[in-house]
Amino acid sequence: MLKVENLYKSFGKINAVDGVSFEVKKGDVFGLLGPNGAGKSTTISMISTLLAPSAGEILYDGKSIFDNQKSVRQRLGVVPQEIALYPTLSGYENLRFWGSIYGLKGDLLKKRIDEVSDIIELNGRLKDRVDKYSGGMKRRLNIGAALLHTPEMLIMDEPTVGIDPQSRNHILDTVLRLNKQGITIIYTSHYMEEVEYLCNKVCIMDEGKIIASGSQDELVEMIREKTQINVRLNRMDSLIAEKLKEINGVSDARISDDTVVLHGENADTLLAEIALKVSEGGMFIKSIDVKKPNLEAVFLHLTGKALRD
Amino acid sequence: MKMLSIIIKDLKTILSDKHAVAIIIIMPLILMTILSFALKSSFSDGDYFDESVKIAVVKLYNGDEDSRMFDETLRNGIFSKNMGEETINELGDSSRDVDPERIFFEEFLGSDEVSKIISYRIVDEKTAMELLDKKEVSAVVTLPEKFVYDMKINLVTPFRNNVDIKVEVHPDKSIEGVVVKSVMEAYSSAMSSVIIGKNVIIEEAMANGVGELKNLDDVMEEVTSVIEDMNIEIKDVLVEGRKSITSADYYAAAMMSMFILFSAGHGGRMLLEEKENKTYQRMIIAGTSRFGILSGKFVVVFLLSSIQITIMTIYSHFVLKVQWGSIINTAIISAAAAFAVAGLGTFIASATFKAGNFKLANTFESAIIQIMALLGGSFFPVDVMPEVIQNLSFLSLNGLALKSYLKVMSGYGLNDVIKSVAALGLIGLVFLILSVAVLRGKEEHYVKHNKVKAVKA
Repeated sequence: MLKVENLYKSFGKINAVDGVSFEVKKGDVFGLLGPNGAGKSTTISMISTLLAPSAGEILYDGKSIFDNQKSVRQRLGVVPQEIALYPTLSGYENLRFWGSIYGLKGDLLKKRIDEVSDIIELNGRLKDRVDKYSGGMKRRLNIGAALLHTPEMLIMDEPTVGIDPQSRNHILDTVLRLNKQGITIIYTSHYMEEVEYLCNKVCIMDEGKIIASGSQDELVEMIREKTQINVRLNRMDSLIAEKLKEINGVSDARISDDTVVLHGENADTLLAEIALKVSEGGMFIKSIDVKKPNLEAVFLHLTGKALRD
Repeated sequence: MKMLSIIIKDLKTILSDKHAVAIIIIMPLILMTILSFALKSSFSDGDYFDESVKIAVVKLYNGDEDSRMFDETLRNGIFSKNMGEETINELGDSSRDVDPERIFFEEFLGSDEVSKIISYRIVDEKTAMELLDKKEVSAVVTLPEKFVYDMKINLVTPFRNNVDIKVEVHPDKSIEGVVVKSVMEAYSSAMSSVIIGKNVIIEEAMANGVGELKNLDDVMEEVTSVIEDMNIEIKDVLVEGRKSITSADYYAAAMMSMFILFSAGHGGRMLLEEKENKTYQRMIIAGTSRFGILSGKFVVVFLLSSIQITIMTIYSHFVLKVQWGSIINTAIISAAAAFAVAGLGTFIASATFKAGNFKLANTFESAIIQIMALLGGSFFPVDVMPEVIQNLSFLSLNGLALKSYLKVMSGYGLNDVIKSVAALGLIGLVFLILSVAVLRGKEEHYVKHNKVKAVKA
């Protein structure tokens, strides 16, 4: 559906985007993950036809978006990182304006405003001025303004920045709902957990480059890191670590205070055996904490720094 | 459709901003009301000239030569054919008491009424034109060749010779010019009535035989006394076809001309504000061209200033009793002024957008508008200001609008303001072209994208 090939963008001597390539297929929720300044927003700006690349190509359904701006723009919905709305106008007036900018009018415009206000769950507050809205409501309206013209692909640039957890969950659920309705989504964020929750494909960007891409499992597999299991016991026996190491699939076990820290593969099958060994040693388990490797770990592994550095 | 949506949205945005509404609509209404009443005394009897109008008088005649010619005509002309030597001498002696120069300079221009309005100096033709060019005088009054001779013929004999007194006015001093022309017309009219009265006496005397012409001195005395009694009031002069300007008239037009500039200031901020709010980028992504957006801003400023003008004219008419004159002419001036303001606002918008900060728009609102208001006469009439300011008044867009409104209020037609109206239109057009030039090339755009393939790959 969308193919980005060797995309470059320079601002003076700074290469904001440095040879980025990826492909988004119809129905994907495609995540662009990276810290602030990684080049995600610049990449998004080029895909949404706002910025011209210094070099490279972007194809939409096999055709260059440079040659088909008009039709591509009608097929894309863009949710900017900022609240790009008119605060002194009402929610309804904002939706009506953005709908008309996309060429909607009359009954169709009214119908779409009704539908979109259902999706973003703002129907009861559309008459209020936007500057009276909470941060979460503004974010939802910001998304709504990009949905009016029924786009095939929705590009969302950090749509949850600066809002409370409840509003964030609402937006994440909205994104998944939209995807189920058939909208392909490109979602940028520096929140690892959002990307993990939403995306079936992920590109990790840092300093203008893609440092890893694939499905979440593929990315985790790439760093070959094992699941960490922390077993907290009622009392500690110095031999227990050695006994647990004997379990097939456990690669490492060490004692830390009242907890045995293990690393291994396939945590689900290991847990039963761990419980048995502990019981044989005359102890019992107070708690077990399983930590699977995640995208944060992938990023840390690849760059040597945390996502929010 | 897109542009209409942008225009409606922008108008709603501005009119929902209480601060903006206070500046562009409420404040001028308050100020024009206060100034109309506070400065009423400065516009007493509808005249807003604090100083007398300066004129230069050019004498193209030779007074002694004209008198000698008149004596000769009196002795040898047709008029004296049926008169005896004694009567001719008596008439000649009496005519010497009728001195057209004295009547014009001392009894007319020197009278209390006229000297309050006009101060004059006698210069040669060349100097007069230089003074007019430098605006040191508002008008040049030229007394023609054989002025004394022709006036004596008119005043003493039954014949009438044509006397053309020429009045030349500096284009920038049109209001003063009206005063001078009106005063000269009053002089001409008064002299005509005197001459007609005198002719009746002389013709009747001649019809009854020259011998019946008694007490010619009394007749001549009657002639001069009529001139002395001639009463010229500037108010009366202006009333004829021209309405005088009151303080309410003046400040309604002055505040309106000034405050429409704030629409340009608001318009000047809109483009960069949209960019900072990212709504500009969102419109571009939605397929709106940046020149489409710019055109929208132009129309918005035009409509905004038109709304201001409409509200202020209606308010001033009904509350301050301002008579704006011809509605059509006022509408034409208003359209031209709004067009100029829209062009200026669009230019500020482009330049502010290019600069990426609001310094220009801020400077325009806080300083340039005030300077333009001063130069254009929005605070005080330009005519009472120092000459330096008068000479710079052409720089002010509001000055052109104000001048035009005042003329139409005074009863002038469209022809008398067409230059100012055209200048306003030209200003709007020039600024509009400049704004497009400034915005062109500002941003990279996909249209110009050369589709360079991955050179670094």
